[in-house]
Amino acid sequence: MSSSLPPKPQEPLRTASATNAVTGRRIIALWFPHWAAETSRADYDATQPFALIDMHKNAQRLVGLNAAAGKAGLYPAMTLPDARALVPDVQTAMAAPQDAAARLQKCAYWLQRYTPWIGEDTSPETADGLTDYGLLLDVSGCAHLFGGERAMLEDIAARLAAYRDTRGITMRAAIAGSIGAAWGLARFSPTKLSIVPQGQDAEAVLRLPPAALRLKHTHIDLCQRLGLDTVAALARFPRADLTRRFGPEPVLRLEQALGQAGESLNPYLPPPRFLARKNLPQGVTQTEALAMLIAEMCDELAAQLQASGQGAQRLDLALTRSDNVMLALALPLAHPSADARHMVRLFEERLTRLSNGAGGLDTGYGIEQLQLVAARTTAVTAPQADISLSRRLYKSAPIAALGGLYDRLISRLGAQVVVQAVPHASYIPERAVRFVSVLEAQARPADDATPTPIEATTRPLFMLCAPEPIEVIAEIPEGAPYRVRWRRVLHEVTSAYGPERIGPEWWSRFVGQSPGESGGHNTRTRDYYRIEDTQGHRFWIYRDGLYDREYDRETDPPQQPPRWFMHGVFP
Amino acid sequence: MQNALPKQAKDAQQQHKLKRLQKLVMQHEPVLQRGACITTGFGEIDAYFTAHVEQAGLPSGGVHEIAAESAADMAAVLGFAHRLAARFLQNGEADDVLLYGQTHAAVRDGGQPYAPALAAHGLSAHQLVYLDGVTMPDLLWAGEQALTCAAVGCSLLASSEAAPDFTYSRRLSLAARAAERPVLLALGRTGASAATTRWRIAAMPGQGWQVKLEKLRLAYDIPPPVSGWTVYPQRSHASQSVPLEEVQTSNLVPLLRRAI
Repeated sequence: MSSSLPPKPQEPLRTASATNAVTGRRIIALWFPHWAAETSRADYDATQPFALIDMHKNAQRLVGLNAAAGKAGLYPAMTLPDARALVPDVQTAMAAPQDAAARLQKCAYWLQRYTPWIGEDTSPETADGLTDYGLLLDVSGCAHLFGGERAMLEDIAARLAAYRDTRGITMRAAIAGSIGAAWGLARFSPTKLSIVPQGQDAEAVLRLPPAALRLKHTHIDLCQRLGLDTVAALARFPRADLTRRFGPEPVLRLEQALGQAGESLNPYLPPPRFLARKNLPQGVTQTEALAMLIAEMCDELAAQLQASGQGAQRLDLALTRSDNVMLALALPLAHPSADARHMVRLFEERLTRLSNGAGGLDTGYGIEQLQLVAARTTAVTAPQADISLSRRLYKSAPIAALGGLYDRLISRLGAQVVVQAVPHASYIPERAVRFVSVLEAQARPADDATPTPIEATTRPLFMLCAPEPIEVIAEIPEGAPYRVRWRRVLHEVTSAYGPERIGPEWWSRFVGQSPGESGGHNTRTRDYYRIEDTQGHRFWIYRDGLYDREYDRETDPPQQPPRWFMHGVFP
Repeated sequence: MQNALPKQAKDAQQQHKLKRLQKLVMQHEPVLQRGACITTGFGEIDAYFTAHVEQAGLPSGGVHEIAAESAADMAAVLGFAHRLAARFLQNGEADDVLLYGQTHAAVRDGGQPYAPALAAHGLSAHQLVYLDGVTMPDLLWAGEQALTCAAVGCSLLASSEAAPDFTYSRRLSLAARAAERPVLLALGRTGASAATTRWRIAAMPGQGWQVKLEKLRLAYDIPPPVSGWTVYPQRSHASQSVPLEEVQTSNLVPLLRRAI
């Protein structure tokens, strides 16, 4: 980095930095140079060389390194045998880019304690094709809450380094007036944490190398060949010439970095419109106290919602523990509600559930911050009346009353337990109907799948969760069962009706898959029988496969002989 | 001779005491059931109710226990319970729902309801809200919650392994009477209960159910129910049910008479 003053640009810079000073926009860019490697394992040790590997161009190559591995001489895209030759004790793990991205997103949610407006980093792809992990935070007007910008950056760095998921993370950060400047400074500034005073973005950026402008690697190569080693050298050229030589993108990036062109931040989550938040001076551990605080926040949120004629469809409660772990509770509502009492009741149900359950609500050393957000809202036309009133009130809207019940059931039992059956166009009996959560069942249109026309009396009222293998003695291999042993009980069959033959659905994409224990379950023809035993118990059983066509002893490998399964019970 | 008179007198005294006690209980807690009454749809059973019960049917407001004769009869129990639930739903509003909850064990043993077959029992898939495996306390809690919701026409709680204890049974019973809506408990095992009725069901050959009415708490002066009936739910003609004594093997209609 040269300490000399930047050369004066020939084309006068437009005075957009003045507008920046007016708007006072402040952006933090965080850069995690070794994110994927450093967060991939819970027992990560920063002192040991560690690399993530992936199959790439027919070889196992390193796709992510930690600092120690870089120091030891390893570099990205190196093959694993080469790396092992150089550093025999290098630790490796398979790369999982989705997981790394998910962890970054989780980190972004956690960073909402500083600002609601957190965006994805729009880094260009690097020369070796690796992903660059970084985050952008719009902290305009937030810094004073944390004791100034430097204190805020230091707080972020300290908390991130202590946070369980990102312990010992390598991080560089910069705060500046534009996204471009903050991005470049986070990566190319000589200091780990850099702060650019308001209105001085241009000076700071002009000193950086051209790579700080978020250019594609082809453009960076070109700059190097032309001998442009700083942004200032690039900025000296007339924009028209640059555009002719490089295309429009570098000029745009240059102007964005200098604060002359606008750029918006693309947030992970739009900042919530309806939000209630409580910062506590001291950690709270008792569930009862939390319930009281939540009730207060529900009142606040409900007032906000009612004032703008909205009803919440989903509530997100985030509890931040004093050791920086965030606990999240999502509460979907069957019907939009702006009723504080209803919300409180649901949260109470959930909290007691959590504090009684095996997992438990682990408040640790105490909850420091609570945040209640109406994550999804919709307009409600009339103010909602009490949800638990008498039938007369709900004569016109019984669904609304059901919605309240669904909410209570779901908040205690879980959405996957409170279900409704929806038809599905399939001839395979277990696929002809699916259970979906009542919330989903209400959302979907009434008839989206034509139910397969079958006679109700030929189907059992109860279907086992999965077909259970049974022992069957039949008179002839292809014939009706004679004796059935199910769950170790022998049933003498007195009458049998069948077979009802159901073939595999060759047009379905499920053909060939074999869920469950029986191999090739969906590729064979089934013969269903309704049987009754001497006691009068009635069952629905089937033989999976046909003896003559789908079973041949001679093939190699030999096919499994047809097997019998218990599938349902008639009342 | 000397012994007989005091014994008679004793009996009479006891009867008198019992009457007085019943009167006292009636004052504090009238057993008069509230809510609309339904007929079961089985001729003989309805005839019994018409003959002996003032309201000529099964009252909505109350807990009705349907218990299994043996563990293997749980499917028949649930079948009968679905029939009753369908009758209760027909009695209410058109868009009422049936809340059907099962414990984990009940799901594992007996499976989940299969929507395409519901039509054969007078129900339809969109009427059914199903709780797919919960614990026993949660099941009873859900039943109580359902009573607070006007749009749930009937709730059916199935547990193959345990019955609610008397305290909870009474709690549920009071809630159901206050709400004038029925709670059906399908149980594999029974205990002391405060239910209005208790039925005991067993499967019978020939697609039938053997139905016994073990308990009927509608009034104190109802004669003890007959020993039972055998009903054939799949037969559509009027005489669906036959008193148990008259059942003969010739009544059975096997699906396919085996030729051996």
